[in-house]
Parts: sequence; C-alpha cells; structure tokens
Amino acid sequence: MALPARFLCWIVLLLLPTPGWSQQPGMTRAFDLERRGDYAGAAQAYRAVLSGKPADLSALLGLERVLLPLNRSADILPAARAALAAAPSSSGIYGIALRAWAAADQPDSVRSIAERWARVAPTEETPYREWGASELARQNRSAARAAYLRGRERLGRPDAMAAEMAQLSLAEAEYPTALREWLLAVRRLPGYRTTAISTLAQAPVPAHPELLRLLSRETDLTARRIEADLRARWGDPLGGFRVLTAAMPADRVQAIAVLRGFLDQLRTMRSQGARRTEGMVLEAIAARSPEAQASRVRLEAAQAYTAAGDRAAARRMLGRLADDRATPASIASDAATTLIGVLIAEGKLDDAAQRLAELRPTLSADDYDAIRRRIAFGWMKQGNLARADSAIKTDSSIEGLALSGRIHLYQGDIRGAVDRFKEAGPYAGDRGEATHRTMLLALLLPLEKDSLADLGGALLKLEQGDTVQATAELERVAAELPASQGGAELYLLAGRLSAGSGKPVEAERLLRAAAVKEAPSTAPAAELALAELLISGRRGAEAVEILEHLILTYSRSALVPQARRKLDEARGAVPKT
Amino acid sequence: MRRREFVSRTCAGLVALSPVGSLRFGSSAPWLLVPMDDTQTDHLKAYGLTYRALKRGVKAEWFLNYRSGAFLLPSDAGTVRDAALAGVLAEPLDDGQLVQIRGGLQGGNMDAVPLEKPPKVAVYAPPNAPPWDDAVTMALNYAGIEFEKVWDPEVLGQKLKTYDWLHLHHEDFTGQYSKFFLNYAGSAWLVDMVERNRAMARSLGFPSVPAEKGAVAGAIANFVDKGGFLFAMCTATETLDLALAANGVDIAASYADGDPMDPNATARMRWDRAFAFQNAQLELSPTTPVYSDIDGHQVNSPDRRQPLGSYTLFNFSAKIDPVATMLVQNHRQVIPDFYGLTTSFSRKTLKPSVTVLAEEPGAPWVKYIHGEHGQGTWTFFGGHDPEDPQHQIGDAPTDLSLHPHSPGYRLILNNVLFPAAKKKELKT
Repeated sequence: MALPARFLCWIVLLLLPTPGWSQQPGMTRAFDLERRGDYAGAAQAYRAVLSGKPADLSALLGLERVLLPLNRSADILPAARAALAAAPSSSGIYGIALRAWAAADQPDSVRSIAERWARVAPTEETPYREWGASELARQNRSAARAAYLRGRERLGRPDAMAAEMAQLSLAEAEYPTALREWLLAVRRLPGYRTTAISTLAQAPVPAHPELLRLLSRETDLTARRIEADLRARWGDPLGGFRVLTAAMPADRVQAIAVLRGFLDQLRTMRSQGARRTEGMVLEAIAARSPEAQASRVRLEAAQAYTAAGDRAAARRMLGRLADDRATPASIASDAATTLIGVLIAEGKLDDAAQRLAELRPTLSADDYDAIRRRIAFGWMKQGNLARADSAIKTDSSIEGLALSGRIHLYQGDIRGAVDRFKEAGPYAGDRGEATHRTMLLALLLPLEKDSLADLGGALLKLEQGDTVQATAELERVAAELPASQGGAELYLLAGRLSAGSGKPVEAERLLRAAAVKEAPSTAPAAELALAELLISGRRGAEAVEILEHLILTYSRSALVPQARRKLDEARGAVPKT
Repeated sequence: MRRREFVSRTCAGLVALSPVGSLRFGSSAPWLLVPMDDTQTDHLKAYGLTYRALKRGVKAEWFLNYRSGAFLLPSDAGTVRDAALAGVLAEPLDDGQLVQIRGGLQGGNMDAVPLEKPPKVAVYAPPNAPPWDDAVTMALNYAGIEFEKVWDPEVLGQKLKTYDWLHLHHEDFTGQYSKFFLNYAGSAWLVDMVERNRAMARSLGFPSVPAEKGAVAGAIANFVDKGGFLFAMCTATETLDLALAANGVDIAASYADGDPMDPNATARMRWDRAFAFQNAQLELSPTTPVYSDIDGHQVNSPDRRQPLGSYTLFNFSAKIDPVATMLVQNHRQVIPDFYGLTTSFSRKTLKPSVTVLAEEPGAPWVKYIHGEHGQGTWTFFGGHDPEDPQHQIGDAPTDLSLHPHSPGYRLILNNVLFPAAKKKELKT
C-alpha cells in the first residue's frame, strides 16, 4: 500500500514545475547519473545538492530512490534529520523521514515521526497510512492496525483508512471485518469497488453465508451492488441479478451504470448461468435505453441467450428485432443471421431455410454459403442425407467439400468420402474439424471397399450422439473385415467409444481385438489406448506389460515416446497429469 | 560400501568386464556404450539404466570426461531391453572399438572407473507430503533408482548404517519448520507439519522439536563419520551445519521451543562440529525465513535477495581426483542457477578444507561443494529444484519427462552412482 503512494509522490514531484531543479547543474548531474544506473555516483551528487539546500525535496527524494537499489536505504537518515530541522512543517520531508527510520528498523522513531507529522498535518491520513505501511513491511500487522486506528481516532473519522484496514483484515482472514471496512471505503470512494470485490471474492466458501447475511442487513445501493457482484463471483449470477433488480435506482442513467457494472463482472465468467444472466442484464439495459441503442443491446442479449442455450429467450429478442421496421438495417441483418442459428439449433431447419431465402439479398455470397452449410449440416445430422447433399451441391468451397465428404461417408460411399476429404485438404474448418477429418481418413484408407453402407450407418449414429448403437454397429462391421483391411481400425474406434462411455470391460475386449500383429499400423495405438484404460482402472502392472510390448515390438512407431511417458506414469516415475 | 573400503581398495588397471547373457536385440556387439554428450536421448534415465545393470549383478564402467561421462555396460539382453524401454541411447561396441577408446582414455584428462555395486539409498523425508517437491526423490523416481524413505525414528534408531547413501532435501534441522511458522500461520500443511514434528519429538523423549532435530543431525554426522555418503540440497545443507554447530546453544525461535533464541548465539557456535561452514552470522529475526549469512542469495529477505545468475562446473583431473571428477560429469559446463531457501554458499563461510565443485564466477558465493568427514564424504548442492528456478510453496512438482537432459539433475544423479565406484589408488 505504501509503495504506490510513494511512487505517486515521486511522479507528482517529477511532473510539478518545481523551482527549476532542472536548471540546477547539481540536480541535472544527479538525475543523469541516476538515469544511467550509477546509483552510488547519483547518491553523492544528491548529497552535494542537499549540503547546500538540506530541505530540497527533489534531491531528498532522489537520494531515497538511489539508495534503494544500493541496499542502503537507512543511509538517508542524516539527510532526513537535516531536512526536518530545516523545514519542520513539510509533509513531503516527513514522509521520507518516516521511511528512513523504517528502513533503519527503528519502530519507535517511526512512531515518533508519524506523530510529529500528524501534528503538522492534522487533517491528513497520510502520516498514519505511511506509519502503518512501515509496520506492515516489518510483518507487524497488529502494529499497523494500531497505527490506522490511532489515525481514525485522531482524525475523528470512522471511515479513515478503511481500505487499508480491509486489506489488513483480509490478510488475517477476518472476512466480516474486511467486508465492513470495504463498505466504508467504497461508500467514501466508489472506485474501490473493483478491488473490494476481487479481494472479498477470495473468501473461502464457509465464510460466504456470513458475508451475505451481513450485506443483507445494509440498505444502501453500495451494499446491494457488492452483494450482487459477490453472488455472481460465487456462482450465483442469477441471484446477484435479482438482488440488483430489487434495488435498482429510478434514475435511468444511474440504473444503466449499475447494470453495466454488473455486466462487467459477468463477462469475466464462463458458465452458462453467467451467459444467461448476461442476457437478462442486457435486456434490462435495453429496456432503459433509447430505441436507437436498444436494438444493438437486444442483439447482444440474444447472442448471450444463444450462448447460454436459452433459445426461447434468444428468439424472443431476435424475432422482435428482425421484424421491426425501425431496426437499423445492419442490426436487422445480424439479428436475422443469429435467428437462423437459433432455428438450426432448435432443429427447425425448414424455418431456417425460409429465413435464409428471405435474407439472401442482404447477405454476401460467402455468408450465404456458410449459413446454407449450417442448415445442410442440420439435415445431415437428422439423417436427411439427400436433402443435405442437394443443399450444398453448388458449394465448391473447401468447407463445402469437407461437409460433402461427411454426407457421402454417412451414405456409405467410402470412395466418394475419401476423395472429397482429400480435396478439402487440411485447412477446411477449424482445427477440431480438420483433426476429425484426418481421423476419419485414417479410418477409411485401409478399407479396400468403395462402399460400405453399414459403416456409414454406424458413423451417422455416432454423429447423432447414439454412441451405444454406433459402437455395436462398428463392432459388427469390424468383424466382417480382415484386421489389416480396416477391421482393426474399426475395433479401435469402437473400443475408444466404449472407454469414453464408461464401459471398461467392453472397451478392453474391443481394444484387444484391435491390438493384433496383423495390423501393425493400428496395433500401437490400440495398445496405448488399452494401457491408458488399464491405468485408469488401477491395473498398472498389466499396463506396464502392454506398454513394454508396444515399445519393444513397434520401436519405430511414432507413439513410442507417448508410450514411454505412460510407462513412467504407470510406474510412478513422473507426477500424474 | 563404506568409504574406508572405497579409499583403501586399489584396482591396478581396468577391470575386465564379462558380458552377461546371450540374448541380443539385433546386435552381436559385446558392449554397450551409453554416451552422455548431446547425442544421448535421455541423460537422466541413463543413470537408472546403469544402476539397474549393477543391480542385476553385472559390472559397469564410468568413462570420466569421455563423451561427457559415458557408461560402458555389457550388451546382455536385460540391458538392451532396459535401454529400449527407457529410451536411452546405447551404442553397440565391439572389442576393437573398446580398445581404441581405452587408448584414448590413457592419453587425455579421462579415466575409467569401475562401478561394482548398486548403492543402497535412503532419502530422509517426513511421512506426509509437504507442499513442495523434492528434487532428488523426483530424480530417483524418474531414473528408476530404488530408494527407501527414512525419518527421525529410523535415523535415531541406528538404521542409517544399513545404507550407503543418504539424501536430505528441504529439511530444517534447527527445528523451526523452515521458519515459515509465522508467515504461513494457519496453513493446513504447516499445522500438520508442526503437529507431526511435535508428536515425534515427544514420542522420542525430547523436550522440543529443535532438541530432537539436533539429535537427528548428530546421528547423520555420525553416519558420515563412519563412512557413509551424504548428499544434501536446499536448506538441509545450511540447517544441518547450524544444528551441528549449535551444540546446545539455543538457535531456535520461541515458537519452536518456547523461549527466544540466544542473542549471543552467533558467538557461541562450535563450527568445528560442522561439515562445511564456519563463522556464519545467524539471522535473529524469527519472522524472516533466513537462517544465516551462509546462503549467498537470501531469497526470502527482500532487502538482501540477490538475482540468479549461472554457475560453472570446475574441471578436475580424472586420474588424480576421480571423486570430484565424478561429481561434475556433465554435458554442460555452465548451468542456469535456481533458488532455494538456501540457494548458494557464501565463500566467506566455507571451511578451508571444502572442495568447490561449482561456483558463479565473480560472485561471493559458490553453488556445489564437497568434503570429507571422518571416514565418509558429504556433498552439498544449493537450491531447491534445478528445473524450476523459483519453486513456490504449493507449485506442482516438476515433470522430469519434460527435462530428460537436465544438467542440474545430472549433478544429483552423479552423487547416486558415485558410491558405486571402486576407487583406484591415487597416483603420486
């Protein structure tokens, strides 16, 4: 706490039009030496200036600065004494003197200087603040608290140094006291609210009910805002919003400021609840905003609701925007695009297609194609492969080819899928999609068949989220294929799906079926997956055996380093990750 | 193996090693050379490979200063398999190539040291897991070198004599809980540490934890005196010597033993009882987690803390001073420094008999030291974790699979294999 105050002091003094120290050759030289990092030389130069003008505050501050990196802060004492004698009523000099005695580890002198300083500046908090800070630097929290309390008593202000007292209480895990002090501090200086929230939010969970109870006893808006922010930080953003709504000021501008402050808290969070509350806050802001701004805010609210999965609320916002003739064209277009996204997510693909057709004149070709692909993806996911295929027939972009490859795969057209995936290349879609495509290619390439309807059906089930059925069908297809011609790869995929579904017995059976010497390109991956499964089942010794087999048998496999890492983990040679 | 044996045994010429086993994994060469230069794929596991070969009863050699301290192992099936599993580079070597290498060793500052027996290793550690990592335990685990954990009952119960090698890490033998008592008051791990140590002191019949830790330090000194090998890191180095030198002087703060530290403790220390240090000034403040001016870096004293630099390993004559040479085998000569509660050792506090193995050139401190005590030897290495220069309480332990070439960790493992060496007669 003392340090920023000290730096601020230096900065202010450096910026002030002081009586021309820069014109003084002694000061210029001292400052140059300091800037060059010659602290010993600078100290000498500052002392030379002080020998003529012992109360020169700039020189004294300079000396204090350069003695710090020399680890000789206490050496300033003689100069500080001389300065005090020359200017016994200068607050700046008292500050330096206090820090000097603190550096010399003389707490009694610190106290005495603080008392003298307070007599010179009877309405200022600074003497007590500096005194407390020097005690904190000595790790003496009780002495620091005594200094602050003495300041309060002398100044006759119960809220004096409340922020310092709050920090002190937090350091001692006295959360209720910290809360009371922060309330005082924020009421006096609202800028403290952010610090108050960020520090109080760190209170342990058992302390939360007591803090909320204390806050509920307070009646002012400051307390309500702190309560709302804390509730949000502690995982109950909706509760925070309710608290805030009940205390909302009637003044429109003030209310928007309060809501915006709460919104800032919510935007630092990632939960769905926070997103939904964000939508509600934005809706509340929109209700209080002039119509021109309200459209934009409603669009933001709709986007927040969409991110939270609350499609009904999103549609409520968007429908109004898209249909309202008063909505500016750019916002209406964004709203319509977002609405189509909501309709797709709800599975209302025909409605989405109709909206898209209406919107087409306002969209660029790329945007239109992108939305059309999303609708086609929706049809694909519903199993309406023919309609999906026809929707993107004219789309020759790499994203279109990648999607077309998936549609063909689910239709059982293995060759067509492989060709399209290859044509799409590695840059279509995001990284996740590219990885997924590569995985599919690895699965398909060993297959020596142009079409395999059952495999397409199984993978479509997987796409639709029916893992159990997909696994069973994959196993059935795998059993009909030689291990070296894709059978092992399909067993491996089925095994991974079972492991991911929490079916370790089934997963082990499938992975062992994949880890066969007839499929040397698949076996290392299958053995690694099997070892991971065994480790997760606390069967480390069996996993070690499998991993050793992998490393020694497939020593040229790219998976060997990963297998060694797993081996280390299984043996407890490295920390678990 | 005790140091008396170690020093007195002579070995004229190099031991002829017999390859064991007949299985080969694609190689008919009778030897494996495990290079320790930049071609090595896992420096740390190479020590484990050698240790396990010794454990299986085969003999090995350590080629000091040859390819950064290479190992020669017989090319038996077990070693070949072990190297493949560990990912350690082991080059097949025929007899002709070996003769050529031996010729080279004769000519330069190099030598071959036979490794005979896997040392029995003990690590001094409390039964619970403190909230900081332990570099040696991690190195041993990663390399696959067996060890047993011992704590105060075992040390005071004479169990140390069953081991060749004892490791100490972040331990406070002054009994002041690393001087974290005030700054971390209320932390669950500290409460547990204090309770556990107090209960142990009571159960062993000591009036306080400092008194009990002083007795433990004495037992450790006795272990070395009778020929044991001691390796210590971090604050165990400094506090062990302080506890030994205190010899009844109260150097513990009141929270540890109920009464304040003797204000004249510095003047009353008996440094002749210590391993490495002398004439140190003790830190009197109970709130500053610093013990004395032995540590050059004073990491927990904001006004005295020194920045980290790099330390340089000394070169020793492999033929005349093989012990020191073994301890500094490395593929790097200059290594980035790392903090610990004790990071380094002030030159002014070192006893004249101490051998400096690594120093920061121009700095008033050194990093890595070695010496003899009675019939045994000790090695002190400053700092906490060579691959986590500013390891904080509560930080996750270092994953050594991400640092398989760590030169700092190699220094720790040099100490593990050093007791396996059969020392040759010193040349005059």
